[in-house]
This record gives sequence, C-alpha cells and structure tokens, in this order.
Amino acid sequence: MVKNLKLFWAFFSNSLTRDMEFKANFIGMLFVDSVYYGSHFLFFSVIFNYVDSLLEFTKDDVTLFLIITFMMDTVYMLFIAENLGKLNRMIVKGDLDFVLMKPVNSQFFSSFRYVNSYAVVSIFLLTGLLGYASHTMGKVIPLENIVFFGYSFILGVCIFYSVDFIIASLAFWFRDFSMSGWFSHEIMKFSMRPDTIYSGFLRKTLFTIIPMALVSSVPARIFIYGPEARYLLLQTIVAICFLCAVRIIWVRGLARYESASS
Amino acid sequence: MIKRFLAKYTAVIRLTWIQALEYKANSLVGTFAIVSGVFIEYLLWKRIFLTRGISEINGFTFEDLMVYIFLSLVVGQLKSSWVTSLEMITAIREGELNKYLIRPISFFTYHFMLFIGYNSLFYLVYFFMIAGMVIFFPAWAFPSFLNIIGFLGTLIISIYLSYTVYFVMVCFAFWFGEVRALIIAYNLANMVLSGQMVPLRFFPESVLKVLQYTPLPYLVDLPVSIATGNLPIDQWGTKTLQSLFWSVAMTFLGLIVYRRGIQKYEGFGG
Repeated sequence: MVKNLKLFWAFFSNSLTRDMEFKANFIGMLFVDSVYYGSHFLFFSVIFNYVDSLLEFTKDDVTLFLIITFMMDTVYMLFIAENLGKLNRMIVKGDLDFVLMKPVNSQFFSSFRYVNSYAVVSIFLLTGLLGYASHTMGKVIPLENIVFFGYSFILGVCIFYSVDFIIASLAFWFRDFSMSGWFSHEIMKFSMRPDTIYSGFLRKTLFTIIPMALVSSVPARIFIYGPEARYLLLQTIVAICFLCAVRIIWVRGLARYESASS
Repeated sequence: MIKRFLAKYTAVIRLTWIQALEYKANSLVGTFAIVSGVFIEYLLWKRIFLTRGISEINGFTFEDLMVYIFLSLVVGQLKSSWVTSLEMITAIREGELNKYLIRPISFFTYHFMLFIGYNSLFYLVYFFMIAGMVIFFPAWAFPSFLNIIGFLGTLIISIYLSYTVYFVMVCFAFWFGEVRALIIAYNLANMVLSGQMVPLRFFPESVLKVLQYTPLPYLVDLPVSIATGNLPIDQWGTKTLQSLFWSVAMTFLGLIVYRRGIQKYEGFGG
C-alpha cells in the first residue's frame, strides 16, 4: 500500500512536469471544463423554466447535484481517464508488455500511470463552488452529511472506475475496442441526470447491475438530504462487487493477452 | 480538370469508406448513443410533462419533442468531427502537413473527404433508423415529400458548414500548436447550443439573440425544424440562404486563416 502510494506520488510529479511543459494546454483544459459545466447549467436552466422540481430534486438541489457530478467527473479525469483511454492501444500494439515486466501491480500501473494534473485546479474550484452554492441557497449542511458524503463520493468514484475499467478491458476479448471510451461515455450519461427521472425496472437496474445512479445521485442525496443507511449499504455492496469484478476481469483478460502479436 | 478533381477525391472517400467498414462496432456504439440519448431525454421530459400535467410545451407535444430530439442527435452526430479535426491538428503540429504542400492535393478538401468517409457508415445506419421511424410512425415527422427534400438539402449544408467551422479552429494550430482543447470545448458547447439536446426555441430570449449571430442554429436546428414541420415553409428560403452565407463566409475565413498560418508553419517533423 505504502509502496503504491509512493509510486503514485512519483506518477503525479512526473505528470505535473509534463503538463507544465504545455501550459497553454493546461489552461485550455480548464477552459474545456468551464464550457462543459456551463453547457450543463444552461441545459438545466432551460428545463427549470418549464418545471419547478423533478420529484424531490428542486432547482437548487439539481444545481448541487450537477456540481457533485462535475466533481466526480473531475476526480475521474484526474486519476483514471487518461490511463483507461490508452488501455486499448496498449493491448492492440502490445505495449502492455512493458507494464507486465515491471515489478509492480499491473492493474495499478495501467490505471494510475498518468495523472491529469490540471484537474486539481478544477477540483478546488468545484469544492469552493459547492460550498458557495450551498451557502447562497441558504442550505445548512450538517457535518454528518459532509462526512457521509465523502464516504459515498469515494464509493461513487470506485463504481465509476470499475464500470469504465470493465468496458476498457473488453479489448482483451474484442482484440480492438477503440470505441470503448465513447461507449463508456454513453453509459455514464445515465449518471448525469438526477435519479428521480428513473422509475420501475430501469431504476432498479441503475441502482444495481449498471449502477450509474450510485455514481453521483446518491452522494448528492446524502449531501443534500443527509445519510440514508439503505443507500450507503447498497453503494458499499455494489462498489465491493464491482471492484472484485474488475480484478477478475483483469486477471482473465491478461490470460488472453497475446503480447505484441495480439 | 473537374473529372480529375472528382477522381482524386472520390478515391479518398472510397478508401476511407472501406476503412470505416472495418470498424463496424463504431456504428453499433453510434446507434447505442442515439438510442440511449433519446431514452434519457424521454425520461426527463416525461417527468416534466407528468409533473405539470400538460400536453404541450412551446408548441411541442411530447411526441413532437421526442422526434425533434431523436433527429437532433442524428444530425448532431453526422456533423460532428472528432477524429478528422484532431488528425488535422496533429498534421500541423507534427509536420505531416508537408506532404500536402508538395503534392497536388488540398489540405482542406482532402480532410473534408475524410470527414465524409469516416461518417459514411453512420449515414447508412442512421438512414435506416430515420426510414424506420417514417415507415412505422408516419405522422411523427416529414409531413410532406418537400420536407424530406428540405431536410436533406439543409443537412448537406449543415455538414459542410460544420466542417468549415472546424477547419477555422484547426488552423489556429499554426500559432498555438495544441488546439485540441478548443475543439473539445466547441463540441461540448455545441451539444447544447446547436439545439442537439433541447430545441433552440426553448432557450431564453437573451441566449437566442446571441445565437442568431452565429452559424450554430443552422447546424442542427434548421434541418430538424424542416424535417419536423416546425419551420413554416415561407421561411425555408431565407434560412437556407443564411446558412449558405455562413458556409461561404466560413470557407473564406478558413482559407484566409490557412494562408496566414502556412506563412507561420515551420514544417518540423513530417
């Protein structure tokens, strides 16, 4: 664990140095983030011109939900996105050989080698925005909510990572799955809407088998309305199951990997 | 001369078409993107219609809105360029542009053909999706044959206009080297601002006032409004002329920026 943390710190330092060489791109990515946030806020402001609430999610709640969704996405961009984006190419070209030869857990290396350091700035901005928005909305968020929100948020990141990693790992079976990023983005779209719009069988699916509602909606619920044991328990179980599934798929995938000739 | 031009560039489309056919999974993911996109918006708007207990918003019934969003997502995907524009930026940054400078081939036209070629599989798949909708739900869109012609015409303009906008942005790579962020930001903003997720007439007046001075309304909203019969026929001509004006203006702007950029280009690598 300590070894992996030290290794991650080395990855981070290296990525920061690389990113600082392209300062315009660093600023450009912050610009991309702001456009991304702005377009979603605009979309929901249009929606709330026609409705006062989406069941229990009021306009203010959806604003907080969006900020939490952006935080989730930014944490994902910081740690994982860059790496999983490269996984298909590594499998197709055989570059995964260089990872497997290293005296380090290959899944850890493949998942965390590159860090999008610009995302650190976005996370600070979004955290400030979350506090500011809660304050201006007159919402008093108890410490208990914040603590459990932190726990739920980490579980959300784990689920987000697991789903994306499983999709990216399909390249072991499909030989070339360059569309994995696009496909996973389309699946993740379900996490970008408040869970109140889902009902019936779909709602059950999004809370279990394809747990997109557990990525952002549940942390947002806990932040706004306070911890609920059933959501936290469900999120914990699903996160553990998916992390185990990731491990199994990675090991099975490696068994199918045919090196540079694959 | 025209014959040679056509032979040269149709060969590019043909090659890209063969390449695109090798990656059939793209069309599957593209279809999934359309279906899941419509499905999510269906759920969201269903909730809104149920909550308010109304049958119409801004002149759109629930079915009208779903058809609009479905067609918007299709048009939005056909006119969007991730692969080609990012390849063009790489060509400028890494010196691959050299080969266009020493050969009788236009950087602009060659990549336009690539853009069409890469999307060709989508054209086919989405044609069947739209045809299926027209056959099974004839009352939902294309009230007359004229609407089909109008839709196809403005769709072609939209695809060309979209490419010219990308081309202008790509050319900034001559000065800044890395402009991928600009393309990504444009694509993300475009999803909302061109009417891909919600009809433009739902937007606040202040936003619409700004948008009318940009080419964005002609990318998705115009073809889809014609297809769904939301745009009165007497406005088709004016709107189409405006979209043609933007296409010509952006083409000239692109060529000016490209010529200026070429003077800055240092041709490293290649």
